[in-house]
Amino acid sequence: MTSGDVLLQQLINGLSLGSMYSLLALGFTLVYGIMELINFSHFNVFMVGSMIAMLTLQALGVVGQETVMTGLPLAGVLLVTFAVTMLACGGIALSIERFLLRPLRAVKGPAAMITTIGVSYVLFNVVLLTLGTDAKNFPNPLPPIIFNIGGAVLRLREIMIWVTALVLMGGLTYFVQYTKIGRAMRATAQDPDAARMMGVEVDRVVMMAFFLSGALAGACGLIFGLYYNLAKVDIGFAAGLRAFTAAVLGGIGNVPGAMLGGILIGLIEAFSGQVVGTAWTDVVIFSLLVLVLVFKPAGLLGRLAPNKS
Amino acid sequence: MVSSAVAFVSRPFQAMSPNARKSLGLLLLAAIMLAFPLIHDDDADIDTAANALSYATLALGLNIVVGFAGLLDLGYAAFFAIGAYYYGIFTSFQVMPLWHDYWAPLASLGLVEKMNQGGPDLVHFTLSFWIALPTAAVVSAFFGVLFGAPTLRLRGDYLAIVTLGFGEIVPIVARNVDSVTNGAAGLNGIQAPKLFGYNFGIDAEPYYYVGVGLMALLIFVSIRLRDSRIGRAWMALREDETAASTMGVNLVRFKLLAFAIGAAFAGMTGVYFVAKLQTATPDMFNFNVSSMLLVMVVLGGMGSVWGVVVGALLLQLMQTWFLPQLSEWLHALGNVLNNDMLRGVDMVQWTQLLFGIILIGMMLFRREGMIPATRKMPALSFNAQHAEIKRGGFANLHNIPRWDTGTGNALEIRDVVVKFGGLTALNAVTLTVPDGGVVAVIGPNGSGKSTLFNVITGLVKADSGSIKFHGVELLGLQPHEVLEEGVARTFQNIRLFPNLTVLENVLIGQHARLSSGPFASVLHTPHNRAEEAKALVWVTDIISMFGNRLTPRAQQPVGGLSYANRRRVEIARALASKPRILLLDEPTAGMNPAETLELAEQIKSLHALGLTILIIEHKLDVVTKLADNVVVLDHGDKIAEGLPDEVRRNEEVLTAYLGRAARAAVMETTDAA
Repeated sequence: MTSGDVLLQQLINGLSLGSMYSLLALGFTLVYGIMELINFSHFNVFMVGSMIAMLTLQALGVVGQETVMTGLPLAGVLLVTFAVTMLACGGIALSIERFLLRPLRAVKGPAAMITTIGVSYVLFNVVLLTLGTDAKNFPNPLPPIIFNIGGAVLRLREIMIWVTALVLMGGLTYFVQYTKIGRAMRATAQDPDAARMMGVEVDRVVMMAFFLSGALAGACGLIFGLYYNLAKVDIGFAAGLRAFTAAVLGGIGNVPGAMLGGILIGLIEAFSGQVVGTAWTDVVIFSLLVLVLVFKPAGLLGRLAPNKS
Repeated sequence: MVSSAVAFVSRPFQAMSPNARKSLGLLLLAAIMLAFPLIHDDDADIDTAANALSYATLALGLNIVVGFAGLLDLGYAAFFAIGAYYYGIFTSFQVMPLWHDYWAPLASLGLVEKMNQGGPDLVHFTLSFWIALPTAAVVSAFFGVLFGAPTLRLRGDYLAIVTLGFGEIVPIVARNVDSVTNGAAGLNGIQAPKLFGYNFGIDAEPYYYVGVGLMALLIFVSIRLRDSRIGRAWMALREDETAASTMGVNLVRFKLLAFAIGAAFAGMTGVYFVAKLQTATPDMFNFNVSSMLLVMVVLGGMGSVWGVVVGALLLQLMQTWFLPQLSEWLHALGNVLNNDMLRGVDMVQWTQLLFGIILIGMMLFRREGMIPATRKMPALSFNAQHAEIKRGGFANLHNIPRWDTGTGNALEIRDVVVKFGGLTALNAVTLTVPDGGVVAVIGPNGSGKSTLFNVITGLVKADSGSIKFHGVELLGLQPHEVLEEGVARTFQNIRLFPNLTVLENVLIGQHARLSSGPFASVLHTPHNRAEEAKALVWVTDIISMFGNRLTPRAQQPVGGLSYANRRRVEIARALASKPRILLLDEPTAGMNPAETLELAEQIKSLHALGLTILIIEHKLDVVTKLADNVVVLDHGDKIAEGLPDEVRRNEEVLTAYLGRAARAAVMETTDAA
């Protein structure tokens, strides 16, 4: 490989990682934008999502890397898996909000955030106790189609990830910008009290934000599995922190910011792996997080969060 | 029967004073702790207890940061790791530079020794455990400040995530810098402590006693700090940073101090922990440790010293004793029922699940923890609650000295401009407050009155102009420096420290007038004791000025007081700082007419003592009663100034308040009168 090929390859890798981080970052941003809450349970809703996706694919008859599908069956299997995973994860996130966080909505201080840490623990350990700690062979029905671009390799799964991410992000943007409940969400993010007085059902808006963030985490769990061919109980922490960094980098509460931030973090991870070695990737990402928060807390595109003082 | 037996046993204790009972309890606890290895001679259990002690000391340190100062640190294990690796590196065979003669002085101190492993002479570090313990506190405290500094300006939730990042970076560095830390395999061959030639070796008992000593020391330090000026400042900034800074708390210094002392606790524990284990690996300090410590602090009660100790010990006992025991019982039950699932269950694996459930459960049902930091106070009796409106101002002023008033100007505000984006909140406002005078600022909502107070007290930056107080330029000073100059304020929408008592709130007013640092506060030096006693007397005098409005409630948390009483506490807190000027932002807002009159007369009696006052007020009768001079603001401009009666008639003022048409009507009626 020439150095140009290496760059191109890392660009492809970075965009794929970035697509996943964007989807996850959107979940942080939606919830933070409306409630000013860092939702630590998001880390492991994503992990649970990859497990649900794995079990769904297995139930649909996809075995490890052996089953290869094409055409309509492939589309059908993927669509069903996306639907099941996204609904299930949306439902989990929504229940977390409804039953564990809503009672704490009026409580000042870190109570809600500590609760989400507790939820994250519970999700992690429930999976650990039922499915174990070993890395699982994630069923992948995608045909092994490869495009060679110079010395770089572009796989079908990467194209699939990019398309999925684009569709979901486009859908979310449309939803937030042009639907009634989307408008209600934006109003609530600006000023929950004013929105409530104007007839917005804030409880519904909050539940919708959690549902969407969970559904996106679920979709991300599925494509994460398809990308790496594995599902493991401890994937939530590293991916989640990268996604959170992405949300902060783009400007937390800001939907396009989360998308941009995710792509940037994916690229930074891919190229820093090349430059300083993968052992130090986490240090690079965390340092970036600290630097952004300290020197540009509003992020690249500006922070959109409630104007509470 | 049982109750009479309890009564019989407890009778002698009830006769004792609460303090004597406390000392007796402590003595008993100490005796049990010290006797435990002698009674229960099982090395494994003593080892378990020694480990539990180290978690208790960690939880005590985290409690300083999270519980006292309210800084949610999710990467606290980093400091544990720093202390551990500090001791590990300087007592193991990992880092061995070439021997040179300049090492000789250190060798004579016993810190290093010359070694030969068949090559050139090498240096083997042999740092004594007893030197490592205090120096690790210093080293970790340094890192505490280093990691804390970038987080100073961050809000609570961002602080959590940044500390989480640091908490991850430290073990990653430990894993990757192989030459110093031996990477993932960890340091081996760490020296056991020696005392007078006795080597601790691998026997659990001596470590247990060191652990008990360390825990006792850190409990002592925690309690002394909590009850000092330092602890009060931490709790104030935990409750309300803005109010704390305007009451003289240097936010930067006290946040860093919390990080440093918390880190010092962890660093010492790190030394203790690896000395006992004689190995250190990066995995011993990951996020799980940080979050387990958080569970301990949350379970015990954030800010509660004994609570976190009990929380830590309980969770450790649950992990190492109760859960294995429970598994065995379940296995036995499985054998009886011939159930394979029960036979195979290992409850220890459930530990972290239980942690999660504990966190959620505590947040939902008992946020204050098992042993809350603040005790619930009994409700006041009818008599104590009963208050009559008093006329004639403050009665109990005999202990309050007169203010020395000069004859010049106390406060001189010149051409101050404040802009928020495109909005000019204050447009070249000029006003002076003469020494010993009362000036009122009035104006419609949004006219810039509160901005004026904020710019004087350093909460808002001015774009230009100057604010001189007794010749000192206030612009550019931090809020706590403004208070130190003698400018104390209240807030329009009351900013007290809700979970602190009336007494504690008012004591924080004294913060800037006291000087004890952490060492003096822990050691109770004569100077510290004298100034605390003096502060308490002064604050009691201030509180008693308000008669039975506040005195019976001195030990009640202010969060539960009535609106009017909270206003009074805020004024008392400002007065406690012995201000040279008092800034009152709508002090009578929300009070009924009788209470308003009472407070107005009280303010007048402060004025009579010579206190200079700048007051924002909407109620014109209050203004007329109090003020020598009235300044009127509208849309950031000063539109009028003069005696209360002059201002009342001023056309521009009426226009600003009432609009043009209404003004005409008012002018007619006043002319007719």
